[in-house]
Amino acid sequence: MDYVQITQADRQAMLQKIGAPSVEALYANLPPQYRLERDLCLPAARSELSLQRDLAAMAKLNHTATSQACFLGGGAYDHFIPQVVNNMAAKGEFVTAYTPYQAEASQGALQAFFEFQTQVTRLTDLDVSNASLYDGATAIVEGVLMALNSTGKRRVLVGQTVNPQYRTVIQSYLTDLAAEYVELPATNGVIDTATIEQHIDNDTAAVVIQSPNVFGQIENWTKQFEVAHSQDKTMAIAIFNPIASAMLKRPGSCGADIAAGEGQPLGIPFQYGGPWLGLFAASKKYMRKMPGRLIGQTADKHGRRGFCLTLQTREQHIRGAKATSNICTNQGLLAVRATVYMSAMGPRGMQTVAQQCYHKAHYLADAISKLDGYALAYSGNFFHEFVVNCPVKAGDIIKAGKAQQILPGLCCKKLGIGDEKQLLIAVTEKRTIEELDALVSLLKEGK
Amino acid sequence: MFDPKASPKLIFEQNNPAPKTPSIDLPELDVPKAAIDSDLLADELLNLPEVGQLDVVRHYTALAKRNFSVDANFYPLGSCTMKFNPSINEAAAAIEGFIGVHPLQDDEDAQGVLKMLHETQTWLAEIAGLDNVSLQPAAGAHGEFTALKVIRAWFNDPKGGNDPKRRKVLAPDTAHGTNPASCTMCGAGVISVPSKDGYVDMDALREMVDDETAAMMITNPNTAGLFDGQIGEIAKILHDAGALLYLDGANMNAIVGVARPGDFGVDIMHYNTHKTFSTPHGCGGPGSGPIAVKDFLTPYLPVPQVVKNDDNTYSLKTDCPKSIGKVRSFFGQVGVLLRCWTYIAAAGPDGIRNIGQTAVLNANYLAACMEERFAMPYFSKADKKYCAHEFITVPKDLLAKGVTLIDIAKRMIDYGVHPPTMHWPVHDCLMIEPTETESKATLDRFIEVMAAIADEIQQDAEFVQAAPHHAAIDRLDEVAAARTPVLTYTA
Repeated sequence: MDYVQITQADRQAMLQKIGAPSVEALYANLPPQYRLERDLCLPAARSELSLQRDLAAMAKLNHTATSQACFLGGGAYDHFIPQVVNNMAAKGEFVTAYTPYQAEASQGALQAFFEFQTQVTRLTDLDVSNASLYDGATAIVEGVLMALNSTGKRRVLVGQTVNPQYRTVIQSYLTDLAAEYVELPATNGVIDTATIEQHIDNDTAAVVIQSPNVFGQIENWTKQFEVAHSQDKTMAIAIFNPIASAMLKRPGSCGADIAAGEGQPLGIPFQYGGPWLGLFAASKKYMRKMPGRLIGQTADKHGRRGFCLTLQTREQHIRGAKATSNICTNQGLLAVRATVYMSAMGPRGMQTVAQQCYHKAHYLADAISKLDGYALAYSGNFFHEFVVNCPVKAGDIIKAGKAQQILPGLCCKKLGIGDEKQLLIAVTEKRTIEELDALVSLLKEGK
Repeated sequence: MFDPKASPKLIFEQNNPAPKTPSIDLPELDVPKAAIDSDLLADELLNLPEVGQLDVVRHYTALAKRNFSVDANFYPLGSCTMKFNPSINEAAAAIEGFIGVHPLQDDEDAQGVLKMLHETQTWLAEIAGLDNVSLQPAAGAHGEFTALKVIRAWFNDPKGGNDPKRRKVLAPDTAHGTNPASCTMCGAGVISVPSKDGYVDMDALREMVDDETAAMMITNPNTAGLFDGQIGEIAKILHDAGALLYLDGANMNAIVGVARPGDFGVDIMHYNTHKTFSTPHGCGGPGSGPIAVKDFLTPYLPVPQVVKNDDNTYSLKTDCPKSIGKVRSFFGQVGVLLRCWTYIAAAGPDGIRNIGQTAVLNANYLAACMEERFAMPYFSKADKKYCAHEFITVPKDLLAKGVTLIDIAKRMIDYGVHPPTMHWPVHDCLMIEPTETESKATLDRFIEVMAAIADEIQQDAEFVQAAPHHAAIDRLDEVAAARTPVLTYTA
C-alpha cells in the first residue's frame, strides 16, 4: 500500500495536460545512467492486516520494562501517564500539522506551545523558554554552546555526576570547536564547591551541574553556582528533572542562568529512548541567544490575542551560518504531551508524584541498607534514585530478577559510573509496596 | 459580546484554585513518609493551574480545532513533503510492546525493537544505494551535523582521509539554511556556490574546489524543485579534488525507487523520515534524520550501532574506536523510526517507486495547470521544462497589483488550503509541493482556488490584502511580536 490515489485514468489525463508522453519523460533531467532499472531490494508490499500481524509478532520479541516491576532509571523513568495525555496528543490536528509558520492557520499549536513555554519557565524559575529541543542531551549541549557564544570564553566545566549519556554528547559536540571540555571529579557522589574553585578560571564559559545527579544525589546548586558566578560572565547551567521541580528547589532560584533537561518524565513513554523532549529555559537577558523556535504573543487588528513564531532572525532559515543553532525541527508533538500532562496533573498532582517517588525510594533504600552485605554508596540525600553497593555482581542480581519479572536496576559499571558490584536503583510512584518488598527479598536471597 | 474568533482562554486563566477532586488522582501512598531537610524543598508549590479533567479535554480539543493539518487540509508546503500520515503508522507507534522498552534494557529484552531498527537501517541503505546507516540523528539538520562530523573524523584519521586541513564545505546559494548553520556548529567554514539558471554554476564550482575542501553539500532535486543533471560531473569534480559529496536528502521524495544517490556519486547523505517516509510532523517534530554512508565512512558513525549476529539475534555495538561518539542520548527517535518501518513495509519496492513517480506527476500537473496565471521561472510546458516533486512560482503580474505574497498566502487560508513555502529559495516565490498522496480532485480544487485568488486580485486587491477573512483569527501583527517579545504568560 503506497496510499497513492491517482488512478491509471487520472494519470493519462494528467500527462496529457502536461504534454508529456509518460511519467519517465518528466525525469528528463535525470541522466539515463543514474536511473534504477531494477526493483529496490525490499520485502514485497504488505496489506494493513499483514502489517498488524507482523508488528504484533515483532513487539512480542520485546520484554517490556512497563510489564515488569521496573527499577531502571539512568535518565529514563517509569512514570504514570494519564490517558488524557495519550488522547489529546493523538489528535490528527496536532499529529499531522507542521511547524506553525502560518500563524492564522496554526493558532492551536502556537497557543499550546506558548503555554508549554510558560510551564517550563515555572518548572525552572527562569524567565524564557522555547518550544522544545530534541532531547535532554541536545538541550544541554545547546545551553553549553549558548554559553560559549555569549561569553566568548572557551572552558566548559562539567560535573562527573552528570549522566554519561549527556557528558558524551557534550564531548562529541565540542570536539571540533574552539572549546575545552573539563570534567569535575566527584566527592562522595556530588561535586564539592572546592573542586569547582580549583578548576574555574577567567576563561570558563560555563559550569554544568545535574541535580538530582546520575547517582540520584541532590547537589547544592546554590553554593555551586555562587562559585560559578565568582568569575566575570561565567554561566551556571543546571540540568534538572521536571518531576523533581514539583518538590525540590528549582534552577532559577538557585542562581542558574540556563536550565536544561529531559522532558520524558512528563507523560512520555520510554520508546527505547525517543522521541523524547528537550526542555530549555534561560534568564531574560539571554532571550535573543536562545536556540530553537520561540512563540510570542501578539494581536490581530481588532486587538484579539493571538500567537506567532517570533525572534526568527536568530534562526537558520534567516541567518544561515550566523544562526544561534542549526535547529529547524523541534519535538512539537512531545511538547503537546508534556503540556497536557502538566495541565492534567496540576501542581498538586505533580507534587504528589514527586513526593511518592521520594518516599518510596527512601523506604526501599532504608530496607536494602539493613540487609547484610548491602550499603548505600553515597551518604547525601537523594530524590528517587540511589546507588547500592552489593555483595555480588549487579549483573547476577539483574539476571535473578528476570524469573520474577523484576528489573532490579542498572549495573553501574555498564553505565560507566561505578563498579560491577554497584546497582543503580530508581523508584517512581508506580512501584507498589509489594514490588519494593519483592526487590528487597530478591537482594536478600541473591546475596 | 460573543466573539467567535477570540482565542480560548489560556490554561493559566482557567485556574480553579480549590477543586474538590484533583484532575488526576493517584493511589494513596503505601509506604511510611521519609524525612527531608526543608532546605532542599522549593519554597512554593509549582505555579501551574488546577483545571478539571473535562476542562483540560475541552481546552486542547478547542486548540486542535484552530490548527490546519494534513488530516483536515491540503498542505502543499514546499520542501516539507506534507503527505498523508497513515493511521496504521500511529497505531504501530502506540503498541505497548514497543513503547514500554526502557533504553537501557538488555539487548535480549529488546530483540523486537532491534530487529525493527536493523531492518529500517538495511532498507534505508538500499534506497540510498549506500552501504551503511546510522539512525541516531534526531532530525534532518541533526543528520547534517552528524554527517559533517563523520566527514571531519574521516579526514582527521591518518588511516582514513588523512588530510585534516580540509575544513571548508561548499553549498549552493539555494541551500537550506540548516546547511551553513550545521557547518558552523561543526566549526567548519561554509562557502556559497552560485547558481546559474537554477542549477549549480559549474565553472564557479571548479574554481572554488581546492585542497582545503572537505565536501560539498547538495540538495538534489534542488530547492528550486529541479533535478540537477550535472550531478555526476559535480561528484567527479569533488572526488578528483579529494573531497566528498554530501546529499541533503530533503527532496528524496522525488526520486525514491527511481534513482539512488549512491549511484550518482554521493558518499554520504541524510534522510528526513518526516518527509519522505511519512512520519508525521507533529506541529514541528519529532523528526528523524538517519544518515547513510559509503563503506569507508562506516567506522566513524555514531554509537551505538545495531548489528545482526550470526545466530540471527540483534545487538547494540558500542565498541567502535573511530566513532564520532554520540550526538543525542540513547539510540534515536525510535518511535518515529517504527512509523518509518511500517510505511516502507506497507509500500514495498513497487510502492516506493510509485511514490516518487506520482509525487513528480502531481507537481508537474499542478504547474502545467497554473502556469498561465502564475509565472514560473523554471517550468515551461511548451519547452518541456519539467519540475521534480515541487516547483516555484514568482507571480509578478499579481504582485504588480499591490498585493504581497503574504496576502496571497493568507487568502489561501480562507479557502482551507495551507499556504506554500514563501520567499524561498528566491524572493517573492511560492514553493508548491503537492506530494503523491493527494487525489486529482484535490489538485483540481487547488487549481480553482489559485485561479479564484488571481481573479480576486484583479477585481478587488484590497479584499485580498485584508485576508484572512475566515480563519481562526484575523491577520496577526508579527512585527509587534518581535519588537516587544512576550514569550510567557504573566497574570
